[in-house]
Amino acid sequence: MEISQSEFLHLYYYLRLTRALEERVTTLYRQGRIVGGAYTSHGMEAISVGYASALQADDIIAPFHRDMGAFLVRGITPGEVLAQYLGKRTGPTKGKDGNVHMGDLKRGIFAFVSHLADNLPVATGAALAFKIRGESRIVATNTGEGGTSRGDFHEALNFASVRRLPVVFFCNNNQYAYSTPLHHQMAIKDVVERAKAYAIPGEIVDGNDVVSVYLTAQRAFQRAREGEGPTFIECKTMRMHGHSEHDSAKYVPRELLEEWKKKDPILNAERQLKKLGYADEPDFHEIHMRVEKEIESAVEFAEQSPLPEGPEALEGVFAANPVEVLI
Amino acid sequence: MATDIVMPQLGESIAEGTIVKWLIPLGGHVQKDQSLLEVETDKVALDIPSPATGSLTEILIQEGETVPVGTLLARLDYHSESGNGDPVTTPVQPSASFGPGYSTVSGAPDLLSPAVRELVTKYQVDLGRITGTGMNGRITKKDILEFLDKQALLREEAGDSPSVQAASTASSLGEDLIPLSPMRRTIAERMVKSRQTAAHVVTFFEVDFTTVEKARQDLHLTYLPFVIKAVTRGIAAFPILNSSWSAKGLVLKHAMHIGVAVAIDEGLLVPVLKHADQKDLLQLGREVADLSQRARSKQLRPEEVQGGTFTITNHGGTGSLFSTPIINQPQIAILGVGAVQRRAVVVNETVDIRPMAYLSLSFDHRAIDGATADQFMLMVKSVLEQPAWEVTR
Amino acid sequence: MTTSAIAHEVTYLEAISQALDEEMSQDERVFLMGQDIGPYGGAFRVTEGFQDKYGEWRVLDTPLSESGIVGAAIGAAMMGMRPVVEMQFADFISCAFDQITEMAAKNHYRWGAEVPLVIRAPYGGGTHGGPFHSVCPEAWFFHTPGLKLVAPSTAYDAKGLLKAAIRDHNPVLYFEHKFLYRRIKEVLPTEDFVVPIGEAEIKREGGDISVITYGAMVHVALDAAEALDQEGIDMEVVDLRTLSPLDTDTIKDSVRKTGKVIILHEDTKTGGIGGEIAAILAEECFNALDAPVMRIAAPDIPVPYSPPLEDFFLPKMNDVITAARQLAAY
Repeated sequence: MEISQSEFLHLYYYLRLTRALEERVTTLYRQGRIVGGAYTSHGMEAISVGYASALQADDIIAPFHRDMGAFLVRGITPGEVLAQYLGKRTGPTKGKDGNVHMGDLKRGIFAFVSHLADNLPVATGAALAFKIRGESRIVATNTGEGGTSRGDFHEALNFASVRRLPVVFFCNNNQYAYSTPLHHQMAIKDVVERAKAYAIPGEIVDGNDVVSVYLTAQRAFQRAREGEGPTFIECKTMRMHGHSEHDSAKYVPRELLEEWKKKDPILNAERQLKKLGYADEPDFHEIHMRVEKEIESAVEFAEQSPLPEGPEALEGVFAANPVEVLI
Repeated sequence: MATDIVMPQLGESIAEGTIVKWLIPLGGHVQKDQSLLEVETDKVALDIPSPATGSLTEILIQEGETVPVGTLLARLDYHSESGNGDPVTTPVQPSASFGPGYSTVSGAPDLLSPAVRELVTKYQVDLGRITGTGMNGRITKKDILEFLDKQALLREEAGDSPSVQAASTASSLGEDLIPLSPMRRTIAERMVKSRQTAAHVVTFFEVDFTTVEKARQDLHLTYLPFVIKAVTRGIAAFPILNSSWSAKGLVLKHAMHIGVAVAIDEGLLVPVLKHADQKDLLQLGREVADLSQRARSKQLRPEEVQGGTFTITNHGGTGSLFSTPIINQPQIAILGVGAVQRRAVVVNETVDIRPMAYLSLSFDHRAIDGATADQFMLMVKSVLEQPAWEVTR
Repeated sequence: MTTSAIAHEVTYLEAISQALDEEMSQDERVFLMGQDIGPYGGAFRVTEGFQDKYGEWRVLDTPLSESGIVGAAIGAAMMGMRPVVEMQFADFISCAFDQITEMAAKNHYRWGAEVPLVIRAPYGGGTHGGPFHSVCPEAWFFHTPGLKLVAPSTAYDAKGLLKAAIRDHNPVLYFEHKFLYRRIKEVLPTEDFVVPIGEAEIKREGGDISVITYGAMVHVALDAAEALDQEGIDMEVVDLRTLSPLDTDTIKDSVRKTGKVIILHEDTKTGGIGGEIAAILAEECFNALDAPVMRIAAPDIPVPYSPPLEDFFLPKMNDVITAARQLAAY
């Protein structure tokens, strides 16, 4: 399978947008302008950009906190992301939640909760709804390798497989769950081994190669759409920052980081774009400038947005029922 | 051993009752649960059974007197009869049977509960004049309320009440003054209040009772069960008719409890057919007959005149053709049923003789509009005019 | 012409079954998930015959996977379905705690996603189920904003509240008391009806003492009220029906009338719903109180199995009578 120029340039643009936005998040965090935690996908952008770009408009994603690229591809704007980080009323949760904890059903995004892997059963449920209604929509969900040790991961894979649900499970294997290295998380070398127990076909891809992720995702999505059931895709990568921006990650050997730096997904994409003759340095510069401009106006939007008023905290605990007893 | 006979609480909102008749004379013997006296309140009139077997040794309140709930009416001596010294009420048990998870309470003699404090402040009560009946002599909320009631009664008896003055004036002018019974007062109060609050509008419909006439003869029923049935179908189609007015909004009632006005010697009672929509014609017929009969003989229980959601008044029973009934608050509509008369009507371009009646619906224009009321009435009319009746629910 | 219909009495269990059946037949978004609910018809036979009528995908047998299944129900609900999940026993709801309290309860607050989900939880003791088939888990969820909790005590309420729960746009935990399943029955209206969530009901009017309770204990309270009536103690029985959001108006109105109150529940005492009600009364009805607020609840122990132990554990009519006599005399 080959990738077209326009598809690849789309992927590249979102890699750059994700990187630029998260770098700005890191800056704002260090300047003390972000009050809570900041979690980035630095060095892992190819996974979320790759799988989200392979979806159709009415599909659903159930992402986690290393999936900024997927949020952006699905239409969350950088301005909304920064407003969310700054606790502004214009963020997707209107200040109710922070950082990457956001979602929007209109744009097909399930917000995740901090309890990792909780989103996987929820993703299977959306797939179940599509199956019951005979729709050809599918669900893509992602978690870190850390989350695969939780029961909800296993319950979700098992149920999805038993009922052949149109859901594709991605695993961002970035080698560390906070400070815990892979070999203290599980006794297997590859997370994909876990899928075998549920008779789910598994694949390992280079998580730093956006084209590989994109094309593998496309194949898995096609299978799901055709009623062949779930696929498990382990994307091998490396977490290049700490668990969150307050974490210096001294527990990660420096030489490991140096080695992965060479496999940076943006550099990787640029090498391939040049090789395929799809783009060259002036194009990269042009995209870089475009992205920087977008981020500037996003910061402006977020900073000028109003903070919510205290009593707004009381709103929205329950959805209003259209049928009231009092008429 | 004597036991006290007090004015019972006949329904939650009842504050006072009138003694209509002592059924056992002073010194007479009464069995436990045998009717002892007849009491009338603004909601019901009923017989009060004796709490014990014994003889009536003292009558403190005479026939015709109205007293607050809880007032001592008479004393019954049952020591001489049974030789049994047990008190009627079971004494307070120690809390020995309580398991480990349970609370117990203990009182202090000088403790004033928050409820008592509030009443004392509000009504400037002199606590020295009250004997506490609670634990260790504690003054209870009930003690204060009873004291206040007695005070009010005393003021009335002191002769400054307008009714006493009116009575003397009336007799001097060669007129008779008829004292107002509690039921009369209640009816007066409620009718005026309904007129003052609800925006009454009346709409009239003429209904052909031909098929009802035939079915009721087959089933040996009056017209009323058929009208009730038609009303429940009408409510099913337009549930808003089964709502009540409240400050917050219209409270839509899911259950259809249909009140039926019954004239009795002393005034009017509205017994309620609970879940009327779930009953067939025969059941409705039986219940209407039973409730009316017991309304007249004062055997209704308090709950049988409460909880109505819609009311029917069958003024046609006394020959009336039209009426503009007053809504039974807080309901929002009342249906009047006129007399069924054989009249010449045009049917299929010829003149035919049919049993006809006028139905009137008084509705509260605050709650619903004419269009809804008329659609409801059209539904009632079409049910009553249905070609063939079945005894279904 | 005169085919007289005989009113058919419906058990609490049949009422639940009827509610599910009616909602499924009139709304194709409604579907059921749970263990053994398909061909087997459910551990208590609530869904007997449902799979034949509605098919495998609307009456879905699931693995032993409470968290995964509640999670899936949340996902389906957000995609416009109306899932009803059956916990085989309410005790097992603890396996799904995270999905209920973190996902279902918080989604609308955090990002405006409606989760119209119903979880049916057959709960309560009196059936010699022991520590893992008898629990009353409502207080765990009572403390969680974003969940609605209902606990019917009659067949009418069971049907009306389940229909209301299915039509609600929020996650509703529906606590159905196993002891009542086949022990109570009544004639139900033939028409469609709901019991609105959030409304308590006075099951018996009285002027002397308010008993505030719910579930199977409503019947214990009513029995006690009958017995006390002969002693001249007039008890009012308030059936909460909805535990969250609480109908505080009805509770307060009743206590303002009587001035004396017993809070009765089968769940263990410490941290139970009764404590919250007592606190509300202390805060908002202090001036109406004519006696200390009393709680009757199970002792703070797991539900024991052996009949004398379980009998000791469960609140009984005599406990209510003893407490009421104390309050009446106070």
